[in-house]
Amino acid sequence: MTTAAYQLHNIKVHYDKRCVLDIAELSLQQNQCVALLGDNGAGKSTLLNLLAFTDRANEGEILLAGQQISGTLSTKQRQSIGYVSQHPLLLKGSVTDNLMLALKLQGIEPKRHKSLAQAALQLVHLEHLAQQSTSTLSGGELKRVAIARAMVYQPDILLLDEPFSHLDQYHYQQLESIIQQLSKQNKTILFSTHNRLRGLALADSSINLVNGKVTSTPLLNLFHGDLLNHTFNTGRLQIHTISDIANAHNIAIDPNEIIISKQPLDSSMRNCFSGRLTLIAEEIDSIRLTVDCGEIFHALISPESLAQLGLSLGNTVYLSFKSTATKVF
Amino acid sequence: MSYFSDSLAGAFQLISSFDAAIYEIAFTSVSISLIAAIAAACLAIPAGIAMALNSFPGKNFLQHILNTLMAMPTVVIGLLLYGLFSRLGPLGHFELLYTPTAIIIAEALLIFPIMTNLTITAVTSADPRLLPTLISLGAKPIPLAIQVAKQTRFAILAAIITGFGRAIGEVGAAMMLGGNIEGFTRTMTTAIALETSKGEFETGLALGFLLLIIAFLVNFILSWLQR
Repeated sequence: MTTAAYQLHNIKVHYDKRCVLDIAELSLQQNQCVALLGDNGAGKSTLLNLLAFTDRANEGEILLAGQQISGTLSTKQRQSIGYVSQHPLLLKGSVTDNLMLALKLQGIEPKRHKSLAQAALQLVHLEHLAQQSTSTLSGGELKRVAIARAMVYQPDILLLDEPFSHLDQYHYQQLESIIQQLSKQNKTILFSTHNRLRGLALADSSINLVNGKVTSTPLLNLFHGDLLNHTFNTGRLQIHTISDIANAHNIAIDPNEIIISKQPLDSSMRNCFSGRLTLIAEEIDSIRLTVDCGEIFHALISPESLAQLGLSLGNTVYLSFKSTATKVF
Repeated sequence: MSYFSDSLAGAFQLISSFDAAIYEIAFTSVSISLIAAIAAACLAIPAGIAMALNSFPGKNFLQHILNTLMAMPTVVIGLLLYGLFSRLGPLGHFELLYTPTAIIIAEALLIFPIMTNLTITAVTSADPRLLPTLISLGAKPIPLAIQVAKQTRFAILAAIITGFGRAIGEVGAAMMLGGNIEGFTRTMTTAIALETSKGEFETGLALGFLLLIIAFLVNFILSWLQR
């Protein structure tokens, strides 16, 4: 059995007497790519700062690779973590100066510096900017240099705070491919994003934060497959969509856009599937229904609607949604 | 008015003719202030960085003390050190009274709180991402302090120059501890006071202008370094 990269117990962080993070138990497995999902202010950055040990919790304990951290990290422990903050700060000087500083501070032997710096720049495809001043980098380049700096001493864990924010589509995809590449190298990666759809498409699993608390609510209705002529084929279902994006392999349906009925609806909605109701769960201000239609769908309805429909587990229900309610990416 | 303009002309004459006595006083003044500034900086910069980076009991109280010392009159420092360095004082056997060393010690003590406070301000007003970035990159306490000093070097340089400016313009302690001995402890400020009291207005003005020129040069060098 492998040791978890991180184990958190009874973590609480307060700012001005306000509890911004409250995690009873959380475990992050090694060699996993995990998306940290949540809206702005959910506590994602606070959690990442704790995991990077740049900040301390008011209460609770964090175990790094099974070892409790109470004081400062040992050199080996510090070398195992690479952290890129939401707005990374590159120090004055060239890109290489920044990488060399990280190697020096981590106590890496000088004879390895050059080769490690080159490898890190290759990873982010920025070899040509090695000598460029950091003050002249674009937003996308800056983020990639920050990732190279965090990876230059080859840590096992990479923590990325909102790595995709303020990136255009091209740089977004480039960064996704870097994360995929690192994931294949058996690195433990935790990245935060408020883009749930793309986050889950990239990660092996997710941690969902709502108001500083980890919730079990996953991203709902994300399916993988192929898109052809406005029809997305998951292998089990064909979902009509208005999108026609080349190389799109993911589709997601907003659970709030799904209509649940006991009879098939005669309507303009182009997607209508029947399935068995397998779960009724209470969420914040709503009820989550899980329906097995070949693919597992989740729909959110109000408690009043649940009472009105008189649903119970095992019932056959009909699930309808417009092709405009889908998001393909 | 003619008295003032005549004195002004005489002052420029003394400066432009490279009057030996004037330049000797200027050299004494600059060298004493420079040594005092370097000595104070060697202690104040590490102390300021350490105070800015660490939390400890009594930190606020210590900062209040430093703020108070910033406003301390120079004659008070002169008086205290005079008591210590006079023959009957506890440090009398070092025979420091009326030596440049006594002035250096007084000026260093005078500018230490200024440099410390300005260093604290330089570090605390640095980019808030600096510390977390350096910590996440594995910086231990001493390398961390060195990197913080490097990243805030221009503000720290300004602290050193402010201290130097305060030292070179100081008169009370220099007069009490140096004794204004010609060719030995006579600084520009003590010389100005003496010459003015003697009615040698043009010599006083010449020294005053030299003092301004030195202040201008120091600020010019600072601006150039910050570019």
